[in-house]
Amino acid sequence: MHAGPATSPEQTPARDSGRRRILARTRFDFWLDALLLLAYTLAYSLGFTGIAVHEWLGVALGAVLLVHLTLHWDWVVRTTRKLLGRGGRDRLIWLVNLALLISMTLCILSGVLISEVALEQLGLRPPGGPFWNQMHGTTATITLILVPIHAALRWRWIAGVARQLVTTRRAR
Amino acid sequence: MTFIRRLAVVVLVVAIIVAGAVLWSHASGGGNAGQRVPAPQVVERLARIRKDGLVGRPDTGPHLSNTSDLIRTCMIEAALAAFVIAISAIRRGRRRVRRTA
Repeated sequence: MHAGPATSPEQTPARDSGRRRILARTRFDFWLDALLLLAYTLAYSLGFTGIAVHEWLGVALGAVLLVHLTLHWDWVVRTTRKLLGRGGRDRLIWLVNLALLISMTLCILSGVLISEVALEQLGLRPPGGPFWNQMHGTTATITLILVPIHAALRWRWIAGVARQLVTTRRAR
Repeated sequence: MTFIRRLAVVVLVVAIIVAGAVLWSHASGGGNAGQRVPAPQVVERLARIRKDGLVGRPDTGPHLSNTSDLIRTCMIEAALAAFVIAISAIRRGRRRVRRTA
């Protein structure tokens, strides 16, 4: 059995810096995801935000979602490769994530195409039309169902990082 | 560099979904067809203007007093998340019992 290399004094700082980098990345992921959830909740509540904030939030959400997906792209590739061999939980998460990607993309696309304020402020005239209106309504409802499921399927990770953040802050 | 490469792949995936939606719109003949149908919010706003007269600028800012929409969204999200977490916790508990038995 391979026991692994013994830790020399020179290796410890490198390992520490690696661990620190992973912790910083985990924290960044946590706060970015929290921000996305907050922005999505606000953007969905049209009656609260008003049409202009709703539209601009939607556009910003689209840009940040690209970053979110890019940051987790290695998970997407890894899980897609292992999908046939594995069952259960990861497959469910993968399917929910795929459905959310499609519905969120369509929701933001249709939202841009039926925009009343944001694009006109930029001097553009979106085409609009009943097809995109209907698509925006349908995909918005689907995303409202999928977003909390997407978050809840990772509740152990969320709880773990939140606990870690609280204990780190207390230790300071 | 890795980030840029992955971002390019993600943008490509999103572009494929967008292209699919545009094709679907053209196939169903429901794109713009040269006409712009107003959204329900616009129709509602026009009805309000007809009733009350034109008051100030169009209603584009946030309505901080109208929290019922936000509360409803939060409640739907919380209920769905709680449901998924409860099922996950039950399944986890069952798996643990099976393993210890």
